[in-house]
Amino acid sequence: MIVKRYLKIWLLLTIKASQIAFSSRLGTSLFLFGKLLRFLLFLGFILLIAVKTKAIAGYSLWQVVLFFATFNLIDNVTQFFLREVYRFRAYVVSGDFDYILTKPWSPLAKSLFGGSDILDLPMVLLSVVLIFISIIKLEYITPSGIILYLLLIICSEIIALSFHIAVLAIGILTTEVDNTIMLYRDLTSMGRFPVDIYREPISWIITFVIPVGIMMTYPAKALMGLLSQTSLIIAVSISFTFLFLSFKFWRFSLTHYTSASS
Amino acid sequence: MKKYWLIIKNTWSETLTYRLNFVMWRIRVVVQFLTIYFLWLAVLPPNTNFGPYDQKLILTYILGAWFVGAIVFSTRTADIGEAINSGDVSNTLIKPVNFFLYWFSRDLGDKAMNIMFSVVEITLVFLILEPSVFIQTQITFFALAILSIILAVIIYFFISTILGFLGFWTPETWAPRFILFILVGFIAGEIFPLDILPSGVMKFLQFSPFTYLIYFPVKVYLGQLSYPQILGGLTIALAWTILFYLFTKLVWRFGLRFYAAQGR
Repeated sequence: MIVKRYLKIWLLLTIKASQIAFSSRLGTSLFLFGKLLRFLLFLGFILLIAVKTKAIAGYSLWQVVLFFATFNLIDNVTQFFLREVYRFRAYVVSGDFDYILTKPWSPLAKSLFGGSDILDLPMVLLSVVLIFISIIKLEYITPSGIILYLLLIICSEIIALSFHIAVLAIGILTTEVDNTIMLYRDLTSMGRFPVDIYREPISWIITFVIPVGIMMTYPAKALMGLLSQTSLIIAVSISFTFLFLSFKFWRFSLTHYTSASS
Repeated sequence: MKKYWLIIKNTWSETLTYRLNFVMWRIRVVVQFLTIYFLWLAVLPPNTNFGPYDQKLILTYILGAWFVGAIVFSTRTADIGEAINSGDVSNTLIKPVNFFLYWFSRDLGDKAMNIMFSVVEITLVFLILEPSVFIQTQITFFALAILSIILAVIIYFFISTILGFLGFWTPETWAPRFILFILVGFIAGEIFPLDILPSGVMKFLQFSPFTYLIYFPVKVYLGQLSYPQILGGLTIALAWTILFYLFTKLVWRFGLRFYAAQGR
């Protein structure tokens, strides 16, 4: 019952957010064009490198494309659902967060899912198409690989959700959101390419401390049959640990909310 | 000129006021740089070549592009659109300052801070990663590279200002800037040297203003261009500077006719 109610609210807020986005057709078209342009230019860049060098860090062209497409899928799905986080600072600074706190539904749910960004949907679809093409080109993909891939993408989204909850908590404590969220975006962008290209200790840090590797590289590796069972267990454990810690941090931040702006 | 010096100093102080913001911004720049740096390190192991580049030259290019980017792309003109939309630009109009010199001075203050930070960051990169890089010893190439950076700074100032002037006609000034950022990343040579592209594309790009923002100054520094090529490049960059100057003035004049000081 609660899930149904939350889904209904999410749908209503997403429709409203989409109406706002489409109120300026020029801006919407330009943003969409920009996202598409970035996707295509990066893909072109990867193709250029892979064709000239035959392999990047031992990965073939279609393997690198699969890493890139998986990164885009996870990144765009995250942005689609969690766009409200980018608007959170304004609520804290203006005092509107008090109003959210008084509503009869979870302030965390509102701050995370209070209006999805419809402009990310075309990019999600494009990523899915590219993943399908890569799978066909790679030929050796197995059904168990696909199941593990989907499981690890869920883990990636859990880690992404945890990071976004942490960003909200930092926002409450310091009113700093914009740069923190963009820093998260830059860090995850390191996963555009397989994390194997980074040297130690950076490779270790972005796999286990800031688990970009687990988020972006592990799913594609599992699909290609390159991931060990231990890595799989680590991925699931880390994602749930991050989620648990982020909830704790969120609750801690709420106890320190001063409502100073209202 | 004293008032413009004060504007530079004020912008510097302004940046220091929002220290956390600025430090986070620089951390983001470092992360972006590391992504590209390690990508090229993986693509080009020692004793391999990619077009005219070996590992040493490509890493020098990427480091150079980072430094030149810090000089050229640090700007406050991104605020012009918002200043027009909110009516804040009226404050500048009634002051005894030249509008363009006012914003250029703000740019210089911002650039000084970014240069200082990027020098520290590059030093740290050298100490931690110990990359093998190419040091230019010929003073002529060095001087010509500085000249081309100056032209790049002016070209980017005009491009960014024109985008800000869109605020005279529409509140949607961020979407075109978003596209500019994407274009700059790829066709200015920020993440890869343009001469690895197919020759047909490169021939076309040599007439684009973006080529002269990053790629050209770094190539001049690397000493990979002959003197006639450098002269030709500087001529094209100068031509773009003049064209953008005239176009900026034109857009400014037309824009002021539409300006209604909304929000004031």
